[in-house]
Amino acid sequence: MKYLYIDTSSSYLYSAIADDSKLICEVKKDLGHTLSEEALPEIVEMFRKNNITPKEINKIIVVDGPGSFTGIRIGITIAKVYAWSLNIPITTISALEAMALSLNDKSYRVPVLDARRDYVFAAIYQDNMTEIMLPQHIKIVDLLHKIEQIEDFHIITNDTLEMFQNIKPYDPDLFKIISSSKTKQEINPHAVNPKYLKLTEAEEKNGH
Amino acid sequence: MKDLYIMGIESSCDETSVSIVKNGTTEVATVISSQIDIHKSYGGVVPEIASREHVKNITIVLEECLEKAHMTMEEIDAIAVTYGPGLIGSLLIGLEAAKTLSFLYNKPLIPVHHIAGHIYANSLVKELAFPLLAVVVSGGHTELVVMRKHYDFRKIGGTLDDAIGECYDKVARVIGLEYPGGPKIDKLSSLGKKTYKLPIPLKDDSYNFSFSGLKSAVINLVHNEQQHNREINKEDLAASFQSVAIEEITTKVRKAITEQNIKNVLVAGGVAANNALRNALTSLANELNVNLSIPPLKYCTDNATMIAAAGFYAYKAGRIADLRLNSKSQDELK
Repeated sequence: MKYLYIDTSSSYLYSAIADDSKLICEVKKDLGHTLSEEALPEIVEMFRKNNITPKEINKIIVVDGPGSFTGIRIGITIAKVYAWSLNIPITTISALEAMALSLNDKSYRVPVLDARRDYVFAAIYQDNMTEIMLPQHIKIVDLLHKIEQIEDFHIITNDTLEMFQNIKPYDPDLFKIISSSKTKQEINPHAVNPKYLKLTEAEEKNGH
Repeated sequence: MKDLYIMGIESSCDETSVSIVKNGTTEVATVISSQIDIHKSYGGVVPEIASREHVKNITIVLEECLEKAHMTMEEIDAIAVTYGPGLIGSLLIGLEAAKTLSFLYNKPLIPVHHIAGHIYANSLVKELAFPLLAVVVSGGHTELVVMRKHYDFRKIGGTLDDAIGECYDKVARVIGLEYPGGPKIDKLSSLGKKTYKLPIPLKDDSYNFSFSGLKSAVINLVHNEQQHNREINKEDLAASFQSVAIEEITTKVRKAITEQNIKNVLVAGGVAANNALRNALTSLANELNVNLSIPPLKYCTDNATMIAAAGFYAYKAGRIADLRLNSKSQDELK
């Protein structure tokens, strides 16, 4: 079985192809503002270098947010068009869950993404990945209050968030992420959509 | 010659559309998913909401189009996509979808300028004849383009400020018409008389247009009347505004036809649906003895049929992109 993983929820492209026993290839690259240009060519390069054809993929795992709205849509569009057109099973994983999975320490795991204006996207997991706090858009003060109540924790983030302590940078363990999400239930590709965890400003103003 | 089937993908604003066109002239199937009802409550298109809707719709629209055409992706010869101009977040969805399909099925990827699409909407009615003058009128564009052969565009003039459709929508808002108000002005004005005096925008020797002065004049007039507690006659104001706006177009079109030795005129873009403009250009074409082509209403608004049609000629002209193709919110037609 071959699995394709795609995460474009930040300025980084994290993508990999793995089978059940090992990672076959991976890309971890900060594409900055060129994500829309470069993400697909980088993914295609993995296929070409390893002589893998698109139809050989048995399942697609795509990060559906939270993070950069435009970024998430790039990965989701590639993944859902791929899954729909070649009829390949697809499933999703939260960017925050992927971040928590990549930590090995025996502690609570608190993945955090800067959401600006005193907010972050965050979740809290136990070391066995049990969800203590669901991924959400949360005020920084509220999150600080929540983590005060847990003893041993690590904040996982690559963003500059000086109000937090015990920070570990995020370097995805792509094989671990793929292995843990490959058995997740498959989703109809039409229904694979970003989970922004935040309304648009226009909707907020309109009182939706 | 073997038939060429081009798939077009368009997502530059608030319509997700996919179409399959044979040989640049024959529509096989088109699906358009419009978001107009979603944006109505905001008084205009909200870019982030538009992008969110496109990503939800894209595979559904692709699937419906293939089903309607009774075709599979394997039978498509090339994939044409609007790369710009337009809303960047919206464009990206169609672009990534097109790039992905191009990779998966190993099909050529053809970048199409949105305005080239509007121009080639006319080729779905009848093959283009050259030299031609394209009068591009839409919510985002007001341009005069001369073409001496296929896929050879020379812009000779354009708006210096607002696009004509933008001006219509803003005037509509001031007189209290619901978004999108442009078409409503056209309807109202047929019931009114030209009683309000408005300035003629740009009387110069160029092929350029200007609509912001006209727009401001209408806004000032409405505010002034309101301050004096005088009722606005909406029908008359619509008629007065429309007559000036259209005269601005016809004056420059007349000049271009005469000076550029044009034999064929075509109208392109959403405002091509405007009845008063259609009538004015029809009489101008009759008077100057040139052929006039105006696409049917369904091809005037944003759709992927025109992108697939333009894509055919772009493909013939060797305009093929690699998978690094990016979308551009602004780009000159060339």
